[in-house]
Amino acid sequence: MSEHHEHHIASAKQLWGIGIALLILTVLTVTVAGLGLPSPFDILTAMAIALTKAFLVAAFFMGLYWDTKFNSMLLIGALAFFILMVSITLLDTLYRDDIVPSF
Amino acid sequence: MANVSTSANSAASTPMKLKVKQFQPAQTPTNTYLTDEKGVWAWLTTVDHKKIGLMYLGSVAFFFALAGFLAIALRTELWTPAKTFIEADTYNQLFTLHGAMMVFFVLVPSIPAALGNFILPMQLGAKDVAFPRLNLASFYIYVFGAIFTFLSLANNGFDTGWTFYTPYSSDTNSAGIIWVTLGVFILGFSSILTGTNFITTIHKLRAPGISWDRLPLNVWALYATSIIQVLATPVLAITILLLAMENILDIGIFDPALGGDPVLYQHFFWFYSHPAVYIMIVPGFGIISEVITTFSKKTIFGYWAIALSSLAIAFIGFLVWGHHMFTSGQSAVATTIFSFLTFLVGIPTGIKIFNWVATLYRGSISMKTPMLYVFIFIFLFSIGGFTGIMLGALSVDIHLHDTYYVVAHFHYVMMGGTLIALLAGLHYWWPKMTGKMYNEPLAKIAAGFIFIGFNVTFLPQFIMGAQGMPRRYYNYIDQFTPFHQTSTIGSYILALGFLIILYYLAHSLFKGKKAGPNPWNSRGLEWQSTSPPDFHNFSHTPVVIHGPYDYHQPIEEFQLGLAVEHGHGEKYLAADATGSEAAETTSA
Amino acid sequence: MANHSATHPKHVHHHFVDSNQQFESAKLGMWVFLVNEILFFGGLFCAYIIFRAWYPELFTQAALELNTFWGAVNTVVLIGSSLTVAMAIRSAQNNQKRGLEINLLITILLACVFLVIKYFEYEHKLHLGIAPGSFWNPTPEIAAVLDHPKANIFFGIYYMMTGVHGLHVIVGIGLMIWLYIRARKGHFNSEYYTPVEITGLYWHLVDLIWIFLFPLLYLIE
Ligand code: HEM
Ligand SMILES: [Cu+2]
Repeated sequence: MSEHHEHHIASAKQLWGIGIALLILTVLTVTVAGLGLPSPFDILTAMAIALTKAFLVAAFFMGLYWDTKFNSMLLIGALAFFILMVSITLLDTLYRDDIVPSF
Repeated sequence: MANVSTSANSAASTPMKLKVKQFQPAQTPTNTYLTDEKGVWAWLTTVDHKKIGLMYLGSVAFFFALAGFLAIALRTELWTPAKTFIEADTYNQLFTLHGAMMVFFVLVPSIPAALGNFILPMQLGAKDVAFPRLNLASFYIYVFGAIFTFLSLANNGFDTGWTFYTPYSSDTNSAGIIWVTLGVFILGFSSILTGTNFITTIHKLRAPGISWDRLPLNVWALYATSIIQVLATPVLAITILLLAMENILDIGIFDPALGGDPVLYQHFFWFYSHPAVYIMIVPGFGIISEVITTFSKKTIFGYWAIALSSLAIAFIGFLVWGHHMFTSGQSAVATTIFSFLTFLVGIPTGIKIFNWVATLYRGSISMKTPMLYVFIFIFLFSIGGFTGIMLGALSVDIHLHDTYYVVAHFHYVMMGGTLIALLAGLHYWWPKMTGKMYNEPLAKIAAGFIFIGFNVTFLPQFIMGAQGMPRRYYNYIDQFTPFHQTSTIGSYILALGFLIILYYLAHSLFKGKKAGPNPWNSRGLEWQSTSPPDFHNFSHTPVVIHGPYDYHQPIEEFQLGLAVEHGHGEKYLAADATGSEAAETTSA
Repeated sequence: MANHSATHPKHVHHHFVDSNQQFESAKLGMWVFLVNEILFFGGLFCAYIIFRAWYPELFTQAALELNTFWGAVNTVVLIGSSLTVAMAIRSAQNNQKRGLEINLLITILLACVFLVIKYFEYEHKLHLGIAPGSFWNPTPEIAAVLDHPKANIFFGIYYMMTGVHGLHVIVGIGLMIWLYIRARKGHFNSEYYTPVEITGLYWHLVDLIWIFLFPLLYLIE
């Protein structure tokens, strides 16, 4: 945070730069999907690109880069708890004898 | 953390002179939040956190009475093994109503939204919560959601129990499920807004001098609670939405007949509902910490241990939900891990109990009513906690799951824990909220009734549960009759206790003796204002130079919070002039 | 700062000490709310992951019914709207009333474009009988390609995810219109633009969610 309440003002060039980067990444992810990579790699690249895009949006459009670290922590914390929820649930669903118990 | 240091920097860069003066709240205030704006309309549209807190308290008490009344009806029905006076279907509907109301209308909002709303800003030396209008909105959302849920449950004869398990809730007994889910969704919104509001308030609205190591433990507890509310409640919202869609559209995610997985519903539900039991109990821990220091006139033992164990409980609480699903068909891997993780919860909980007991050691204990409730709490909650650990043991739970043993367990923690803590807090802060004292001997008698009634009601349930009496049953075999009858008698004693409380609190409102600003000689910040408090909580902005549990000196020598005149701006900078600096200013 | 805060401008509520404290509080409050939103959508993503782990072949098959081209167009539209919201905040910070209004208008427009495209996508699917839940009744040609017994569940998840996301877009449009009206009245300037800032945060989150929905739903080959 700056010394007092002059908030950070992103320059128009910066914002447009991020916008264009996002656009390029979108084209990229569609292209890569078209290649039809073998199984785990297709989803991995797609997610890697999505995460990059998400990072750009969060850091620059949402201003986390210039903001107090606590707000970034909130975002990361939310993601961490989401991952927790998914991974613990997977511990059940991936290791069941019958997928749907009653059937 | 970040904001503290930043503002401290700004304070350093612009040195400010503090105008401090000795802070002495008036014995009999002339202008309080109760006299400030009068009339029903002023109350209903107020954005004052104190009034909103009281309105919450009233609504929670109302729903508690209603749900308690249903409980008495249920217990009465169980007097005989067969029908006593209501039909089996009605019985099922009543326990659903009772459970859902107690959980969603009473326990979840009780301590944070009612007492917390009143006390939190005062303990922070703030004038209000961060978003006062949102606070009012959240109250109305709560009231609306509660009435809505109540009507849809009652109207449709909904009888799934408070857990709404699929596919029974989405298919078999699905009348009105849309409305019920909508109601719970609305209630969840209220909870989320309160949590959001509190987190922001604690971060941004602390008075000058209140650093993180000077936060009262009640604030730490509310902070941990708010974090759970914010992380868990949205998952309930989406679960409930999926449940509604399951019913309206048959989307099939939870319905085995359509290829979905009902156990997934249970995962989602308990991902919220296990943390939700901590939403209920953690604020209770906060109250206990406050009361126990005040009445043993001693600094809390292990401040950081208690503060951080709240956060630890909040976190571990997210890892154990599967202990409700040991017999649901979830995989053996998950079951084993969940059982192990469940034991972990015992650690921070134990830390708290031991620290409280250590606080008592060599304290000068005065057995006022709030303190009496603290002892009741420690006793009952320990039983509840220990039986929880037993249920968390995989092999034991296979036998005890869905028996009265579980019923007894959660009543010991929810009623013996949360509700008793609420009573402790209510009796503790009552003089602050109303400016009046209540009848102390009568209050002790009522506490006695509650303690005895509670144990007579729920101890037998452990025994019959272990002997195989299933929960949620209308009939039972003759062998259980003595247990059930004892339990029913206990519930009447319990009810009597609450009626006595109702009586003397009402009496106190109208005829109670004046309380004075600090009847318990507490060092907490909220006691350094008049009773009842000023509209802005304090006539001056307090500059805090002590921790909240500073009992080293006798009260006469106790340096109360110092204050700068209400102005704009300067005091915020002073916020970070931290204690020592401010203290120097005084002595100078 | 001291000079400024001593005057206590009109937009600062009584319980805040100064404008900055109010702004920071509002922003923190919004971030906490976004945590809520993430976990709210998290439930849906969780269901998606569980079912995808169980039935990977179902997801590859069913995704063929989704139109990658229009999904990509919508991605671009949302990214564009995020850009204009960021520009709107910038305009407010620089006291450019006109710029603020125009950027808000473009954002609203783009959000509407998104919804219109979404509408045609839904329309097309419903036409083929690829409808959620009990309306599931695919035409024979579709059924021939999509011969997985749990195909309905993929589309159950698809409709829930995109539907809830769409609702957020609609709410966002409402908020933007409210901002636009206030901007017209000249409520915002470099000293006070809190509502623009926090609505912006909300809108970016809606964009973030879509950034993940797009590859997860449309780009499975
Ligand atoms: C030491 C901490 C605790 C442990 C280890 C624990 C463990 C358990 C376990 C294993 C069950 C599942 C029993 C079964 O259904 O077979 C259970 C049920 C329950 N517990 Fe706890 N518990 C603890 C504390 C609490 C607290 C503090 C509360 C509430 C304030 C609570 C409320 C409940 C409720 C409501 C149920 C029953 C849910 C239902 O099926 O309707 N527990 N507990
Ligand atoms: Cu639990």
